[in-house]
Amino acid sequence: MGSKIEKLLIEFAKLHRFMMSFLREAVSPPYEFKEIIRQCYEIGWRSFPLISLTGFIVGFVFTKQSRPSLEEFGATSWLPSLISIAIVRALAPLVTALIASGKVGSQIGAELSSMNVTEQIDAMEVSGTNPTKFLISTRIIATTTMIPVLCFYVAGIGLLGGYLSIASKDDLSILAFFTQVFESIAAKDIFAMVLRAVVFGFTIGFASCYVGYYSSKGTEGVGKAANKAVVSSMFLVFIEELLIVQLLAIIG
Amino acid sequence: MGTNERKRSLTVGLFVLIGLIILVAGILVLGTQQNKFSKNLVVTTFFHDVKGLKVGNNVWFSGVKVGIVKEITFQSVDDVKVVLHIEEKSSQFIREDVMAKLGSDGLIGNAIVSLVGGSDNVPPIKNGDVIKSVTGTDTEAMFATLQTNNENLVEITKNFAILSQQMVEGKGTVGALMTDSTVALSLKSSVNSLNKVMADANRASSNLAVLMNKLNSNQGLIHDLTTDTAVFASLRESAAQLQGVTQTASALMENLNATSERLNDKDNAIGVLTNDPEAAAEIKQILQNLNGSTAKLDENMRALQSNFLFRGYFRKQQKEQAKATKDSLADLK
Repeated sequence: MGSKIEKLLIEFAKLHRFMMSFLREAVSPPYEFKEIIRQCYEIGWRSFPLISLTGFIVGFVFTKQSRPSLEEFGATSWLPSLISIAIVRALAPLVTALIASGKVGSQIGAELSSMNVTEQIDAMEVSGTNPTKFLISTRIIATTTMIPVLCFYVAGIGLLGGYLSIASKDDLSILAFFTQVFESIAAKDIFAMVLRAVVFGFTIGFASCYVGYYSSKGTEGVGKAANKAVVSSMFLVFIEELLIVQLLAIIG
Repeated sequence: MGTNERKRSLTVGLFVLIGLIILVAGILVLGTQQNKFSKNLVVTTFFHDVKGLKVGNNVWFSGVKVGIVKEITFQSVDDVKVVLHIEEKSSQFIREDVMAKLGSDGLIGNAIVSLVGGSDNVPPIKNGDVIKSVTGTDTEAMFATLQTNNENLVEITKNFAILSQQMVEGKGTVGALMTDSTVALSLKSSVNSLNKVMADANRASSNLAVLMNKLNSNQGLIHDLTTDTAVFASLRESAAQLQGVTQTASALMENLNATSERLNDKDNAIGVLTNDPEAAAEIKQILQNLNGSTAKLDENMRALQSNFLFRGYFRKQQKEQAKATKDSLADLK
């Protein structure tokens, strides 16, 4: 029991140290722009097809599934409002974060842990390159910037999917659809979406890097790290979602 | 920088750019639609009851969105201060005497503030103006009216039900008409008779037509009457004689008239008899007296028969009578 608590406290200390070193390296020059761009390409662009398809399907299916309950009291004309609120306030950041956790989180976890296992990180340190700067900061910065961008795409594509679903049943012009969409959301909803996406992006990057960086040595460590990266980032995303919703409700 | 990396950078740059464009476009659309960027006038109004109005609800003028509700605060015990932000570009059409009214955009829609009225000769609203408010037709009142309507409708349908029931049962004129077969039959026969009458009239008119035709075609009695002068002369003579006859008749009638008039007068016997009720009463009295006298006379006569002085005479007479009957009987044999 005592050792467990001790382990937990040590874990927290490690997390804190990891965070501090990331922050220090992220703000201090020299900046690894080239590597950041490379990571953005890997994380953002490579995930784009998967995440945009998911966003489209979510928007389309959500609209289709919501239709019957609104139809029950003849309010199908409210579908655009419903979809816009659902997608902008909740679904776009959440769906992006969950898919990215699976795609990006596992990638980062596996990459870093395999580097760790093959002692590339140690070699880097010996050769005078700061591994935190080169490996960790670049990845975390990349996820923190790319997840929000992906989230905007998901919102746009999801709304488009919703429109197509509505248009397949009703004769609604896209202008009328978007007028209604923007009627039911406020600026603070977009702000909340951006905030969430940034927080989720940072969480995914940070958790995956941490898990990969501190993975156990040995071949099975890679698989474990990949798995743990996905699970922990998804878990944290949901916890944060809950906290952000509460926080925004307090702020109003 | 290798071509591969250059390509990567461009891809990432484009990717991020488009993502940001989506965000910025969203914010801009939202901003223009909710008029976040246009200049606003601040106008205040007071309501007793805002009926669930919320900050951010729309302000309509003639059905067009011109602003939003910015602030709702209590002013006093039964006054709620509502601060409205109204777009500057629409404000020139909104006059200072405009009134704020609470409404909703649809039956179960959001609460709105609608600005109503405003006259041409009043200047447009300015920043910081306070406008009057009116209590509008709210949904509750509407439903109350609807309820009254419903009750009336129930009453009306009830009456109709009674009416139709009576019609079915044959009560009342319409009911009788609709259910009583004899009425229907008589109506039918009347119509039939009417038909017949019409047919007769038709025939008569056609006969008349024939007659007129004949008249026009110089044949028949009437034609002769109207055209033959000899007949006309004799007719005139007859008419003159007839006139003489009627004159005589007239004189006769006059005499008769005079006679009957005299009958009406009392200065002759018949006149008295027919006209004077007193005389009639007297005559009646005389007749009664006469009646009484004859009855007494009868009695006297019978008494006379039994009187010894006259008994012999009566006996003798009886005998003669018996003998006369005997003789007449013998004659018959």
